[in-house]
Amino acid sequence: MANNLKRTHLIDFHRKYGQITKFAGFEHALWYDGIQSEHMVVREAVGVFDVTHMGRTIVEGDDAIMFLERILPRKISNMVVKQGRYSFFLNEKGGMVDDLTLFRLSEKKFLLVYNAGNREKDFFWMQKNSIGYDVRLEDVSDQVVMLAVQGPKAINTLQTICDTNLTTIKRYWCEWIKLKEHSVLVTRTGYTGEDGFEIYLWDTPLERKEKAETLLYLILKAGEPYGIKPCGLGARDTLRLEAGMCLYDHDIDDTTTPLEAGLGMLVDFDKQDFIGKESLIKQRESGLTRSRVCIRLEEKGIPRSGFEIYHNNSKIGSLTSGTYSPLLKTGIGMGYVGVEYAAVGTEAYVKIRDNFVRSRVVEAPFYDTSKYGVKRKT
Amino acid sequence: MSSYIVPEDLRYSKDHEWVRIEGSIAIVGITDYAVKSLHDIVYVSLPKIGSTIPKGLVAATVESIKAVSEVYNPISGTVIEVNKDLETSPEKINESPYEAGWLFKLNPTNLKEDIEKLFSSKQYLEYLSSLKK
Repeated sequence: MANNLKRTHLIDFHRKYGQITKFAGFEHALWYDGIQSEHMVVREAVGVFDVTHMGRTIVEGDDAIMFLERILPRKISNMVVKQGRYSFFLNEKGGMVDDLTLFRLSEKKFLLVYNAGNREKDFFWMQKNSIGYDVRLEDVSDQVVMLAVQGPKAINTLQTICDTNLTTIKRYWCEWIKLKEHSVLVTRTGYTGEDGFEIYLWDTPLERKEKAETLLYLILKAGEPYGIKPCGLGARDTLRLEAGMCLYDHDIDDTTTPLEAGLGMLVDFDKQDFIGKESLIKQRESGLTRSRVCIRLEEKGIPRSGFEIYHNNSKIGSLTSGTYSPLLKTGIGMGYVGVEYAAVGTEAYVKIRDNFVRSRVVEAPFYDTSKYGVKRKT
Repeated sequence: MSSYIVPEDLRYSKDHEWVRIEGSIAIVGITDYAVKSLHDIVYVSLPKIGSTIPKGLVAATVESIKAVSEVYNPISGTVIEVNKDLETSPEKINESPYEAGWLFKLNPTNLKEDIEKLFSSKQYLEYLSSLKK
């Protein structure tokens, strides 16, 4: 591996137990036991991911709300302390600079969590747009260890090492808790479609590897009765895709707007002003030309990013993500097609090498929501 | 890393295909090393029966969740049979790359010459250890 790759506090664990890959400038584990088994353990029980590579910035100051209202298209001032939200930074053209989650830690203090590959880009974007506001931006990416514990048994796993009643933390909210002796921030969020928590171990520079390792092993031990597994980037990708969630630089980027990406409900047009608003209003008025869709294969084959999508022998778009779904045991993908082909149920053909494979536009998530995911009934 | 199974009676290509000769027929598959490198094979696309495929051209594709890997024909010939079981149970390649996980059978057109260009098991093992460095 090249020397210029970044590493998380848990690199020794990844190297010892995992298949190493390069992702967003990091040397990280693609899988440990295998993508399929790690994927299924999260859908059926619990898995733990090292997501320390993600970017994290603290936004603090008298103008924190005003600043965030300006750079985010969602309403921020009505967030109460400990509440979180999913949003995105938009450029002037309405394209997505990145997608992120943010949490209100106190009256004038927010935590923003964004993609690993955009650490520098996002911090620069915030800095550039903070001129004139009384806010302090602190990039804490390298000072915080972040683990995601995901799956229907995530709550049971953490409850065995925590005195706080975790059921009191609502979806997308956060809380300061103790996991045994470790004081951590937890947010009830994730990137798998399942219930779960993301855990932030504060004030932990890279030199303090052992703190991260102790926490990871504590969680692995707590999840043992449920069959917990460490999970790599491979399962993280298949899980998010099954859940219909976008991956930045694939399904969304600087040139795609939230309206095209089907995320328009997360844009608050009633807000006075935010970067990108004018462009989005124009696009809304003139109408969309393309739209993001989820596509499920009805014949054998594995769709991949970049493959073309056809309808009645004409090309209507292409895939931005694709994989084999370990749960559905079929090919699934996401991509953009002309708006007239975006309706659920539309027949489409994915071109896989020389074959046109019959597929259909389906609703996200791909799985049966009564059996899997946060809304499961069982 | 783990060690790899390399049966003595087979011939091997540098692209990690194996060939077994049974009478006048050649059976082709991918090696334990290829399977372990790909990991979790979930889809196999096989050649058409009756097609004639020159040595070195793509004869099949094997896919894991993350990667697509092309199988280059190690022996020129005409495809006479494919392993239909793999269409419904591709995991057989993971479990048994040299037996239940075979890919296709060929009627070779240039067997003697082609086979000489392939590695013996001993040479293939040496090749594998050179890759680890």
